[in-house]
Amino acid sequence: MRMPGLTTLKLAMGSLLERPFRTVLTMLGIVIGVAAVFAMLSIGEGSRQKILENIDSVEARTISIFPNWANGRASQRRAWRPFTEQDVLDIQAIPGVEAATGDLSAEYSIVSETSDWRANVIGVDPQYLKTNDLRIQRGDPITETEIERRETVAVIGQSVVRSLFRGQDPMGERIKIQNIPFKVIGIVAETDAQNWRGQDSNNFVLIPRPTGRARLFGDDRLVRNQVRSIRIVGEDQSALSRIEREIDFIMRRSRGLTADEAPDFRIFNFSANRQAVAETQRTLSLLLATMGAVSLIVGGVGVMNIMLVSVTERTREIGLRMAIGARGSDILGQFLTEALLLSIISGLLGLGLGYAVSQVSLGTDEIEMVFSTRIALLSFGSALLVGVVFGFLPAQRASRLNPIEALRHE
Amino acid sequence: MADPADVQAREVNFVAEVLIETQNLTKLYGRGSSVIRALDGVDLSINQGEFVAVVGASGSGKSTLMNMLGGLDKPDGGDIAIAGQSLSHMSKRALAHFRNETIGFVFQQFQLLPKKSALTNVRLPMQYRRPRLDNESERARGSLERVGLADRTHHKPTELSGGQQQRVAIARALVGEPNLLLADEPTGALDSKTSTDVMELLVELNQQGITIVLITHDKEVADYAGRVITMRDGKIVEDHKQGTPA
Repeated sequence: MRMPGLTTLKLAMGSLLERPFRTVLTMLGIVIGVAAVFAMLSIGEGSRQKILENIDSVEARTISIFPNWANGRASQRRAWRPFTEQDVLDIQAIPGVEAATGDLSAEYSIVSETSDWRANVIGVDPQYLKTNDLRIQRGDPITETEIERRETVAVIGQSVVRSLFRGQDPMGERIKIQNIPFKVIGIVAETDAQNWRGQDSNNFVLIPRPTGRARLFGDDRLVRNQVRSIRIVGEDQSALSRIEREIDFIMRRSRGLTADEAPDFRIFNFSANRQAVAETQRTLSLLLATMGAVSLIVGGVGVMNIMLVSVTERTREIGLRMAIGARGSDILGQFLTEALLLSIISGLLGLGLGYAVSQVSLGTDEIEMVFSTRIALLSFGSALLVGVVFGFLPAQRASRLNPIEALRHE
Repeated sequence: MADPADVQAREVNFVAEVLIETQNLTKLYGRGSSVIRALDGVDLSINQGEFVAVVGASGSGKSTLMNMLGGLDKPDGGDIAIAGQSLSHMSKRALAHFRNETIGFVFQQFQLLPKKSALTNVRLPMQYRRPRLDNESERARGSLERVGLADRTHHKPTELSGGQQQRVAIARALVGEPNLLLADEPTGALDSKTSTDVMELLVELNQQGITIVLITHDKEVADYAGRVITMRDGKIVEDHKQGTPA
């Protein structure tokens, strides 16, 4: 730049401040555009990191299998058939399986000395805690010993601690389920796992599965050795699809299905599910980033429009400046600086707005956002690009004015 | 710092140096059969320190001549040299530099930036001077003092009378210490009393050694000049020297 930068900058600042209202209106499009691009890139980055950081979590290594439910009418080829304890043992034996557990549960009213509360009563085996990524906070877990002896012991979740005991120490207390007394031997630490039915994932009472089968769930149609569903955790994520295939093989064999028959059970691979969710989020953020880009372009057209107006309004001034020695490049620089300054300020405001809006939406949404300098620079850079691209035409028009005609301009 | 006015005055006294020289200067407008010869072979020589009025009816070519002298327009034929520099083949960049260093413009409509103070307006040409001059503010103040507006430095054009505005414009034209002051109908937007003030200021500046070329269609204004050139149909039809008025 031939004219010292500071003078040009002061000049540009001055002309923006001369028309503050118009300046603000012009900036609006870019502000919104940058905010949108910034927020959306942050969401995209959030979903990307979510996949990365959860890649080794228990949840990301989990497979669940469910039998098909029989409809009322016998339209299905086979009736609903539950899995068995043998299925669980067979799956546990698959190489690469870290833990597997059967689920047998029902909701009951839990009664203490002073209160009662409805919770999910789950009959468990020793691998239950591991497969559900649960941790004992106090006391003991349910082990092989309690299971073999069919003891009436219970390990309770945090919601039960809160709602049933209300500040009292539940350890060693007795609770009654269907009038059968159970002794609380342990408490599970709070979990933030997502329950696939949207239920409270801390509202449970764990009891030995044979105890439950014999004394609680026995009234149900469930017969000996049966479980509702099986949950499996693989040692690492890369083995999951192989494990999934082996499960399919084992289950078909145990249910007498050939390889080309439709299965009467479903396999859910949580990590695949999760990746699909992340994929959706990515697509969403891409879509919104596109909207941001469109908004930037519209904002840019606004900048161009207002700069053209400004050039027309200041034709005589441009003519004068040229007459007293301004070169075309000086005028070009002056208007380009003005457009750039406009977009720099808009860009900064846009980053601020994007951050503020995302802070508000973070409180209400499950959307994960990650802010990084890279994303901020990228969004800010897009504003600069808009300023240069859309500011160039008006600036060039100004720099090519004929000073004689410009001075005569009314 | 030597007062440039003194230097120029001395030059005028001892050597009548040629400042402006045109040869067969021609400018055409339009094309084909409807071509208009705005300048039709103008030969002109103006010395350093002269005060020249160019008069003529509108369309006589005086404005075109003015644009040529100011380096705002290029001739279609002939040559023009100012302060030893031939303008005919200068690039746009070089012309801008030339205008900044050599010419001071005074316009009929003043052409001041309405929202800027008198001082800022006067400083404007120095913004485009390369290399930059030192003490820009001092120079601008000095220039305003020279036109008798030392007490109006922070007034905006809207707060000044027409005569004062034109004097700010003259101060702006002088600030870069040009070789030539070009005034295009400088009193065209002023009443007769104010016109007299402005013309007397120009005469005073000329007496300090500044070369002035002004164009006007007003006989009374032309009478202030030491030399009057009359134009018609792109040609100089009369060129005579006259005594400066009392």
